[in-house]
Amino acid sequence: MLYHIDRPTSYIVVGNRLKGAKPLEVTFKDVTLSYDGKREILHHLNFTIPEGTLVSILGPSGCGKSTTLMMISGLLAPTSGKIFFGDQDVTKKDALARKVGMVFQNYALYPHLSVLENIEFPLKMAKVPKKDRKKKAIELAKLVHIDDQLDKKPGALSGGQQQRVAIARALAKEPSLLLLDEPLSNLDARLRIEMRQEIRRIQQETGVTTIFVTHDQDEALHISDHIMVLNQGQIQQFSSAETLYDNPSNLFVSQFIGEPVINTLDITDFDRELEGHVDAEILQRAKKVGIRPEALQDHDTGSETLTTIATKVKHSEKYGREKNALLDFHGKPLLTTEMRAEVADEQELPLYLQRHGFYLFDENGVRIFGGDQDA
Amino acid sequence: MLNAKPTIKSTLKALLYLLPMLVISITFSIYPIIKSFIMSFYTKYDFFNDIVSAYGFDNFKFLFSDPDFHIAIKNTLIFVVGVVPLTVILSLVIALLLNRIKWLSGFFRTVYFLPFVTSTVAIAQVWHWIYNSDYGLLNYFLSLFGVSAVSWLESPKYAMLALIIMSVWKNLGFNIILFLVGLNNINERYYQAAEIDGANAWHQFTNVTIPLLSPITFLVSVNGVIGSFKVFDQIFALFNGTPGPSKSALTIVYYLYQKFYTEWKYGIAAASGVVLFFMILLVTVFQLWYSKHHVHY
Repeated sequence: MLYHIDRPTSYIVVGNRLKGAKPLEVTFKDVTLSYDGKREILHHLNFTIPEGTLVSILGPSGCGKSTTLMMISGLLAPTSGKIFFGDQDVTKKDALARKVGMVFQNYALYPHLSVLENIEFPLKMAKVPKKDRKKKAIELAKLVHIDDQLDKKPGALSGGQQQRVAIARALAKEPSLLLLDEPLSNLDARLRIEMRQEIRRIQQETGVTTIFVTHDQDEALHISDHIMVLNQGQIQQFSSAETLYDNPSNLFVSQFIGEPVINTLDITDFDRELEGHVDAEILQRAKKVGIRPEALQDHDTGSETLTTIATKVKHSEKYGREKNALLDFHGKPLLTTEMRAEVADEQELPLYLQRHGFYLFDENGVRIFGGDQDA
Repeated sequence: MLNAKPTIKSTLKALLYLLPMLVISITFSIYPIIKSFIMSFYTKYDFFNDIVSAYGFDNFKFLFSDPDFHIAIKNTLIFVVGVVPLTVILSLVIALLLNRIKWLSGFFRTVYFLPFVTSTVAIAQVWHWIYNSDYGLLNYFLSLFGVSAVSWLESPKYAMLALIIMSVWKNLGFNIILFLVGLNNINERYYQAAEIDGANAWHQFTNVTIPLLSPITFLVSVNGVIGSFKVFDQIFALFNGTPGPSKSALTIVYYLYQKFYTEWKYGIAAASGVVLFFMILLVTVFQLWYSKHHVHY
């Protein structure tokens, strides 16, 4: 399967776009990576990252997302397959020749150099004259709002400031591709939100194709044009955040995306509630049922309702604007976030199962019902 | 309690903990240092009865007019300048190479470390044979390149060179281990970042390895300078208890040894020790000052 996405038409460029290299499209053709010839880390990756977009690679730890990034950067070579930047085959080129910018998880700022010298470093390596180097570095420091810390050493900066320096350094040589490896994972919650907006802003101001690796779905959903969900070295789905949530292509994606987590039941947990509402042939093939917590309403919604199910309230609680109830359905727990009426524990409660947010998956975990295309 | 205020009782308790180490270092380090400082000012000393009848600067005056002492200072400086940079550079290069090879790396590390754990006398005996002008390994090796036999240990011209070569070789092992530790402490990420930033292998070496290794380089060179200023046992063993042909390997500590043990001029021996002390102090202070600007912790 080849994952290909068109450049979004709603793409906005804010502010003065810094003149830089033309943004690049990145293509993986049947890329496989194995360590010591045995353990395969990534299996036959095929995808195209459109130029000028911000794409997140999202997955649980150990899924191969950082490895994928290392292969794009040229620090790791694929065992087989080809990597293209635009229409140029870069598979055999090392990191030096690929000229990408990269922000590492721990920033990897040179501890012996000042902020200014860190940002200047790629320019120094490119033999840019000293004067131009400094001018460009200060310009970048202003872009990432770190121009008041130029003489300090990285050790004297806070995590967020180091992060900004790392981004400025990565942008210094005007890369056509910016890679970010879990750049926010060392920051505290508030700073993380601030920095992800900053990264979005900087990406839009520079227009550079950006690939962002994260294990945090919230980060990926907020920041990116497109999200590639990776699990066990395979692409699960590559689409926009909205599609990922509304039309998960398989059980893994449906469970990985969404907070609270989707309710997952076996098809055998249902008696006859689905009969007549879902095609008999599909019902025959279905193995697992996924129900988003918001797809369980406590009142009739007319044509939006697929069917009703009989449940018993086990526990209900209210946090801020959220009102949740944990229910019992044929001995299995169900969570809903859509309680309107006051309910008591142990109360019998009929629930209206919504079409939107209800999925059936076959024995391979592939979605066969629910979402946009009922296939 | 971490925030407890120091009291007389707690201070006494702390002193009690420090006592064993204090007793040892006062007896064997502090007292001898003070005593030798005082001794360097003895001008009239009856060492049979331990009676000092006059103090003064005569010992130092003697040193500054003694041609042997001038030779000793000159030789010591040649030795330090010859040994330290060579040791630092060679051990860094060997550590870099050892860090690269995966195959038999443990074996090579052991081989390079062996000189450090071997007695100087044994090492000197081996080198004595290597340096032998008639049937030595080194001359045989040089003869392959058409160089005629060199009398390494007998000629005043080559004695210091022979001493420097042996000392460098002896010092390598320990310094290689230190450099290997330093190299392993440099996070791989810095090299990856440098590669991404467009640094080739040489630029990675000069911009990542050298600066991040500077604390170890500093340690190795300070250690080397102090050790080389105090050189004695290698000379004694290599030249069979003489300071080399025509005093060509006479160093300050060897001078001190001669004055103390063979001539029984305690005051002069102590004074030369004091001179050595200040020379080492001067160089070390300079190194510390230099490190403030060039060593990155």
